[in-house]
Amino acid sequence: MGKAIVITSGKGGVGKTTATANIGTGLAVLGNKVVVVDTDIGLRNLDVVMGLENRIVYDIVDVVEKTCRLKQGLIRDKRYEGLFLLPAAQTKDKTAIKPEQMLELVNQLKEEFDYIIIDSPAGIEQGFQNSIAGADEAYIVTTPEIAAVRDADRVIGLLEANGINSPKLIINRIRQDMVKRGDMMNVEDIVDILAIELLGIVPDDEAIVISTNKGEPVVAEDNPLSAKAFKNICRRILGEEVDLLNLENDEGKFSKLIKLLFSK
Amino acid sequence: MKEGLVSFKGIKEGIYIYIKDGDFQDILDELEEKLKDSLDFYKEANFLGIKAENLKQSQIIELLYLMKYRYDLHIANEGLLEHMEISEYYTGIKEGMTKFIHSTIRSGQVIEYDGNIVIIGDVNPGALIKAKGNIIILGTIRGVAHAGIDGNKDAIVAAYDLRPTQLRIANIIGRKPDEETLTSGIPEVAKIKDGEVYIEPYLPNK
Repeated sequence: MGKAIVITSGKGGVGKTTATANIGTGLAVLGNKVVVVDTDIGLRNLDVVMGLENRIVYDIVDVVEKTCRLKQGLIRDKRYEGLFLLPAAQTKDKTAIKPEQMLELVNQLKEEFDYIIIDSPAGIEQGFQNSIAGADEAYIVTTPEIAAVRDADRVIGLLEANGINSPKLIINRIRQDMVKRGDMMNVEDIVDILAIELLGIVPDDEAIVISTNKGEPVVAEDNPLSAKAFKNICRRILGEEVDLLNLENDEGKFSKLIKLLFSK
Repeated sequence: MKEGLVSFKGIKEGIYIYIKDGDFQDILDELEEKLKDSLDFYKEANFLGIKAENLKQSQIIELLYLMKYRYDLHIANEGLLEHMEISEYYTGIKEGMTKFIHSTIRSGQVIEYDGNIVIIGDVNPGALIKAKGNIIILGTIRGVAHAGIDGNKDAIVAAYDLRPTQLRIANIIGRKPDEETLTSGIPEVAKIKDGEVYIEPYLPNK
């Protein structure tokens, strides 16, 4: 029996879809059977980020309306064994699905997959209600901005009201140089306000933009810092203890040495 | 309402449904009424197919869906196929009804028409064009085009700049290659050849 995880944020544009694609891909690379589900009906993006747009014939609405079988709706990833996408419909809207249908769908998927990663739409209306309907756990994505943290807080409250307790936090798009100058909220500030378990931190990284445009999630690459961040998140999901990523890669070896000397 | 449009005829292997020429809503109503009357009996029965005097394929499919999903009745696959082949599809691809659209078709928009479609504008990714006949785009298509939706394999898709996410003609689906490809820089025409969607540059002298 698999585990269903919803990735949500309240605010738009903080990186839900990117996180979904990378966590899904990362878990599949580590040998799990994964399906990523796009519930952003009418504004679908996950298929583009995964590079699978050209394979869509049926979508989630066809599946819940039983126009096609579940198997026909699932798109096999072009690169990774055991990774599947259930795309959203683009020509309908959020009311095309009801939470009860979503629950039934997720339960069906849980029989076949180890992880069901559900990409939630922005907002807290029906699309959000649909996305959390079948979820066992929730990961909240936020960026180090007051507005995003505010919305994250609201969503955590809503999740608890819907019986999804102890969501975990992913802080995305951190710019270490700005944090250092005191121009950006740091990780501690955010965790302090939201008071939930921190699952991982992801730096602001050009590699994400490039990989998103190519339709190949960054997590599969070796070098980018953001790829390492998502790999760490995946390993933590699987229960490993992994230290938080050190974002200060730009630091020279010399200054590191000095720091080491002085910290002793 | 005219009665006697729908009748069930049993042979050794199972039951055929015969449908006379008449108003489609009347046919639907009568079929439902007859099914409801002895649902338990029909649930056990083996339906071989629908033989209709004058129904379109889409209407037959609607009847099949009604039986399958509302009444959970089983229809043999052979019966279905047999009928699909003899049923008519839209044949106006040489000369027929055509819809002209003067605008850009954007993501999430669907243009559907029981004939040919001409778009004077672009078709963006996430948009869907569905025609029973041909689809002609005097612009760039990056979305999905489906020509010959009710089965005409001779339907074509032509565009000034043809780079769709997906092209469908009748029941054949072709998709854009994953890697970036160069387009020919001239208008192109897509048609079915040997069971696949084939794209060729438009050469006026050919």
